[in-house]
Amino acid sequence: MDKIININNVIKDYGQGDVIVHALRGITLSLECGEFTSMAGPSGSGKSTLLNIIGGLDKPTTGSVEVDGRDVVSMSMAQLSHLRRNRIGFIFQNYSLIPVLTAYENAEYILVLQGVSAKKRNERIMDILKEVGLDGMENRFPRELSGGQQQRVAIARAIAPEPALVLADEPTANVDSKTGGALMDLMRKLNEEKGITFLLSTHEKIVMERARRLFVLKDGLIEFDGSPKEGINIA
Amino acid sequence: MLSIRLAWRNLWRNKRRTLITLLALAVNTAVLITTFALMDGYIENAVRYATDLLTGEAQIHANEYLEDHSLYKTIDNPDEIIAKAKSHGINASPRVYGFGLLSVGNKSAGVMFEGVNPELDKQAFTLHEHLQGDGRFVSNKADKGMVLGKKLAKTLNVKIGSEIIAVVQAADGSLGTDIYTVSGILKTAGEKLDRSTAICHIDDFRELFVMENAVHEIALNSFRGVELEEIKPLLGTTIDGLEFKTWRQLNPSLSQMVDMSHVGMGIFATIFFIVAGLGVMNTMLMATYDRIREFGILKAIGTSPMAIIRDILVEAMMMSVIAICIGFVLGLATSYYLSIHGIDMSGVGGDVTFAGIAFDPIWKAVIHPASFIEPMAMMCVISVLASIYPAVIAARLKPVEAMNHV
Repeated sequence: MDKIININNVIKDYGQGDVIVHALRGITLSLECGEFTSMAGPSGSGKSTLLNIIGGLDKPTTGSVEVDGRDVVSMSMAQLSHLRRNRIGFIFQNYSLIPVLTAYENAEYILVLQGVSAKKRNERIMDILKEVGLDGMENRFPRELSGGQQQRVAIARAIAPEPALVLADEPTANVDSKTGGALMDLMRKLNEEKGITFLLSTHEKIVMERARRLFVLKDGLIEFDGSPKEGINIA
Repeated sequence: MLSIRLAWRNLWRNKRRTLITLLALAVNTAVLITTFALMDGYIENAVRYATDLLTGEAQIHANEYLEDHSLYKTIDNPDEIIAKAKSHGINASPRVYGFGLLSVGNKSAGVMFEGVNPELDKQAFTLHEHLQGDGRFVSNKADKGMVLGKKLAKTLNVKIGSEIIAVVQAADGSLGTDIYTVSGILKTAGEKLDRSTAICHIDDFRELFVMENAVHEIALNSFRGVELEEIKPLLGTTIDGLEFKTWRQLNPSLSQMVDMSHVGMGIFATIFFIVAGLGVMNTMLMATYDRIREFGILKAIGTSPMAIIRDILVEAMMMSVIAICIGFVLGLATSYYLSIHGIDMSGVGGDVTFAGIAFDPIWKAVIHPASFIEPMAMMCVISVLASIYPAVIAARLKPVEAMNHV
C-alpha cells in the first residue's frame, strides 16, 4: 500500500537561548493509506506538535515530513493551504466551528474554496450530514447544537472535501464517553467505507480501543508502536 | 454568496460597535456631500454674481484702456463685434465710461459715469433686477434718468425722483453739465459700484461727454452657455488689435478664491477621509482581534491568505456601502433643503462681498451628481483601503498560534 505519511527523524525544539523545550526528539513514523491509527501519550508528550507538523501547521526543527507524497517542510504557505484544503481534514478537540455559519455552511465552506459547484456542494453536504447523523439539523448554528453534534459537524467539515487523511486532535475530549464512543464508531465507519486515513491523538481508552494501530509518545519519542491491545496499558 | 453571508453575519456580531462605526461613516458622508453641495453653491454664486451682474464672462477694450481709462481709447467696430457675438449665442453690451462730479445741494461726490445700452444690457446682465424698492433701471430711451450705487446715493442724500447735477470734462475739452433724475438705487453690488458708480443711457452719456458713437467696453455674457475658453476664438478677427480679458483676468482675486475653494475642499475632504479611514481601520482591527481563533481555524482547514483578505474586505465594503447609502440619503435631504432655503448670511456680517463683488446673502447649496459621487466613491475606496491592514494581519496569522489565542 502507498504511504500517506512518511516521517523521518523529526525533531522539534521550542524556545531560544538557554531555555529550549525538546517537544519531539527524533520521530520516525509512517502510515499507510486507509489506516485508522491513534496516538496516545501524556500531556506534553508531543502529540499535538506531531499532528501540527504532519498537517503543515508547524515546521519541524529538523527532519523530513512527507504527506500524500509531498514534502511539507519545504512548502510555501500557499502550497500548504492548498494541501490542507484538498488532501487533509482536521478535527479539533474543541470543535472549532465558525459560530456565524450553520452546520451546513460550516461543512460547505471548504467546498466553496475548492470551487465545487453549488449543486454538487448541496448533494455532497446533505449526504454527509445524513451520514454523520445530523439530518434535519443543517440550518442550526453551532450554539444550537450539543457538544457531540458540534463535533459531528466538525467531522462533516473534515470529510466534505474528500481528503486522503484526517487528523483529529483529541476529538472526544469534550464529550461524554457515550457520545465519544459514538463519534469513534462514526469515524471508524467513514474510514472503512471511504478509505480515508485517520490519525487521532488521544488520552482516552475508547479511542485507543477502536483504533487498528496505536503508537504511544513519551517525552518526544515513540515508546510503543503496535496493536492497541498490547499498547493500551503502556499508554 | 457564502462569503457575503459570512461577512454580513460577522458584521452584526458586535452590533453596538458596528452601529457606531456605521453612524460615524454615514454622518461623515452626509457632511461631505452637504459641504460639497454648499461649496459648489458658493462658487457658482460667486461666479454668477461676478459675471451675470455686470462684469460678464469676458470684456473687450481698446488696447491699454484698462491702464488709464482714457476717454479717447475707444473701440472702432463695436457693432461688428456685437453682431459676431450674437451669432454665437453670446450676449454683448456696449458701455462707455467717464469720470466727473455729481452734486445735490451742498453735497457732491466724484463718480464714474457709466453709459449703457439698456436693451442690450438687460439681455446680457442682471443689474437691472438689482434695484432697491420701486426704482427702475435706465429707460430704453434716453430720458436723463440715472441709477446710483447704494453708498453714493447715501453720500448725496438722494432718493428716487431726486434731481442731481452732473459736471464733467467732456472729450472736446469743454465743461459738460446736465441735470439728471435718480430713477433707481442699486442694492449692494460691490464696493466700486456702491460707492462711485452712476449709470445712465449711453446716448445721455455721449451727449454729456460729447463723444458721438464712442464705446469703451463690450461686456460679453452667455450665462455659461459658451465655454470661457471658446469665446475669444468665436469672435475671430473682429477683435484683432483689441484687448480681450476673461472674468478670471479681470478679477484675479475672485478667480483665486474659486481655485482656493477647490483646494480647501480637497484638504477638508482629505481630513474627513483620514478620520473615516481610521474609524474603519479601528473597527476592522478590533473585529480581527476578536476573531483571531477563527482565522486560525480557517487557515488550518485550508483557507488561503487571499481568501481571508477577501472575506475581511467584503465585510468592510459591506459596512461602507450601508453607511454610504445612509449618508447619501441624509446628505441629499440636507443639500436639497439648503438648495431651497439656503443659509442666511446677512445676519452674520451684513452685506456679503468679496473681491469687490457682492454675493447673494442667502447661501444656497447646488446639487450636482459630482457632489455625491465623489465623496461616496472616495468613502468606499477609503473604507476598503483602511481594511487592508487588518486583513493582512489576519492573513499572516500562524494557524497554531492563532488557534491557541485566548
